[in-house]
Amino acid sequence: MAPTPDSKMSNEKYRHLYVVIEHEEGNLLPVNFEMLGEARRLMDGFNVRYSAEEKVVAVLLGSEMRSQCDKLISYGADAVIYAENPELKYHRNLVYTKVISQIANDKDCSNKISARYSEEFKRPRFMFFSADDTGRHLSATVLAELESGLASDINKLVIDDIELKHEHKTKGQLEKYFKTLEMYRPDFSGFLWTTILCLDNRHPNNRREYHPQACSIIPGVFQPIESDNNRKGVIVDFKVTLNTDDLSIKILNRKVVKSPIDYDSHKAIVSFGRGINESPEENIALIDSLKRELGAEVGISLPISKKPYNISNSKLSAYITPERVIGTSGRKVAPTLYIAVGISGAMQHIAGMKESEFVIAINPDTDSPIRDECDIFIKGRLEDVLPVLIEELRQQKAMVEVRN
Amino acid sequence: MESSRLKISVIIKLEPDFSEGNVSYNSDGTLNRAETKSILGPHSAVASMAALHAKVMHGADVSVGTMGPPIAEQALQQSQLLCDADELHLYSDRIFAGADTLATAEVLRTGIDKMHDGEKSDIVFSGHRASDGETGQTGPQTAWKLGYPFFGNVIDFSVDVENRLARVTRLVPIQGLYDVIEEIEAPLPIFITIHPSYKPTFTTVSQRLSFFKCQKEARDRAALYKNYLKTFTAQTLGVDPKLVGLPGSPTIVYRVEKIPRAKTSRMAEIIEGSNQDQIRAVAKKITDMIKVKEI
Repeated sequence: MAPTPDSKMSNEKYRHLYVVIEHEEGNLLPVNFEMLGEARRLMDGFNVRYSAEEKVVAVLLGSEMRSQCDKLISYGADAVIYAENPELKYHRNLVYTKVISQIANDKDCSNKISARYSEEFKRPRFMFFSADDTGRHLSATVLAELESGLASDINKLVIDDIELKHEHKTKGQLEKYFKTLEMYRPDFSGFLWTTILCLDNRHPNNRREYHPQACSIIPGVFQPIESDNNRKGVIVDFKVTLNTDDLSIKILNRKVVKSPIDYDSHKAIVSFGRGINESPEENIALIDSLKRELGAEVGISLPISKKPYNISNSKLSAYITPERVIGTSGRKVAPTLYIAVGISGAMQHIAGMKESEFVIAINPDTDSPIRDECDIFIKGRLEDVLPVLIEELRQQKAMVEVRN
Repeated sequence: MESSRLKISVIIKLEPDFSEGNVSYNSDGTLNRAETKSILGPHSAVASMAALHAKVMHGADVSVGTMGPPIAEQALQQSQLLCDADELHLYSDRIFAGADTLATAEVLRTGIDKMHDGEKSDIVFSGHRASDGETGQTGPQTAWKLGYPFFGNVIDFSVDVENRLARVTRLVPIQGLYDVIEEIEAPLPIFITIHPSYKPTFTTVSQRLSFFKCQKEARDRAALYKNYLKTFTAQTLGVDPKLVGLPGSPTIVYRVEKIPRAKTSRMAEIIEGSNQDQIRAVAKKITDMIKVKEI
């Protein structure tokens, strides 16, 4: 398709895709390479279809991290804007928000990335953040500062031209929006996908430009590209100016702690979902027995973390905490054995357990999506299956002990 | 000294009640909103408890606000019962409907500025995220619009009222790899979202007595919550109608669809749960798998 001749369009003040890089004490987190991979794929398409001059730009704030810029380039960035300052060693929302917003508004940076747009550049066209807690908060404050739209927890992205009628955006008229980022967001149930768009208001009574089109991206969803040390890119040093008032926020102490729930040191994980609902207390007691039989740790699905049941036994209710959620809104696990009890297999849950070596699902419904994600599907109610399975496991153990 | 008394504000949300007997799901697993009751969201409840903690520890005036339909005043009442608020704000206007997080934040920051007779709040609390929307954006965006430094994932806090300094402890999960616990000092005012694992503790006898006194006062007040309630429309709140509701929302929901099933990644062997021989074979497989790895 030929490039669209739309240089007079208002959104042409907005160029490039900026990816905000997240690090922890100078270590780049895996999500950065996933974001860059998806940015690369999207902009490769964009470069062919619209303009070869718009770039994937990594934005890195830190202290003594300049040597890491090359790594970002090898993973797909065309350019890195690097802000070096000892005060940026650790993430602080206020300072980071200000520096990133300055960078987003900075013409000189854009000029060094692509001189062609130096005159009209106002801000990035698109912006990506990580959808972990730090990135979710940062994206919210940056976009509040830039007064534009933000979609959170995205797991699919498409750039396309869109025609739509909207009461507020277009006063009900059919209008075309070029180069629009379609941001797909799974809802909390994991079964519905909402596509969110960030669009300029073209309503004559309320005209307003909303750029960048920004989103936060769920870690673990997108694939990085293969790193290539021969990839060429520009590194742009951004001179940071900090407000001394902002530095009155002091990090006094920082320590790394292991989560009290340690999935990594267990070979088996037993997880449960809404399938326990007929008699939650008794069913969780069954899961607790299975857990003890296997020396396993216990996980839950996201809906369970909303504490839907009244469970009197405090030991069992301890399983119903957000820290135990397996999936995109919780932990990612890869045990030798994963047993999904009464879990239907919403996409978000699957993302958290699909790396498990062997998966067994117990579910009465052979149509539930978990069937496609397991190695053994035991068709049945957990109330019926678990007592038999636990008993058989005990007998197996007894036989092993006799043999030994 | 009265002027140094802390001014605490809380923003809360009426959310679907996900508890057993109240929540209703459609057969496809999605939430049946028409059949599901609404309550004060659990994260909002935790934020309300944090406000009471500040009140017990330091003495404070507490205001609670929410944007929502008229029925959201129930959430305000439930919050008052938890935090013994002196003032309840409901921002309710049909033009607020359909707002995204930025347009919601515009209403909330305008409302917070009207709390405490227009005096600045020292600390604003909000929940970690809503149980239904789950974006976690409204808190930080409201903070930014207020011009308050934002601290998320807070599991503990204390205030040095005299020097107007707060100390907050944050629990930051690093992408499921490990957690970081961070202790921060910041001058007031600040905006805090409270982590769901937060548990207020009252260690001394006088703190506990004060806590019980506030609880009793909260019960009395919540029984007459309408006496504390102020309802604002867009006009009485004084917001620019172009910055709220759908007209003030940069984002729109373009499409809602069912998530298509992913490609089959494993070939499942299907076993009848009633077939004991097959269950025995599974038990043997499990035992072997775990045992072999142990050697």
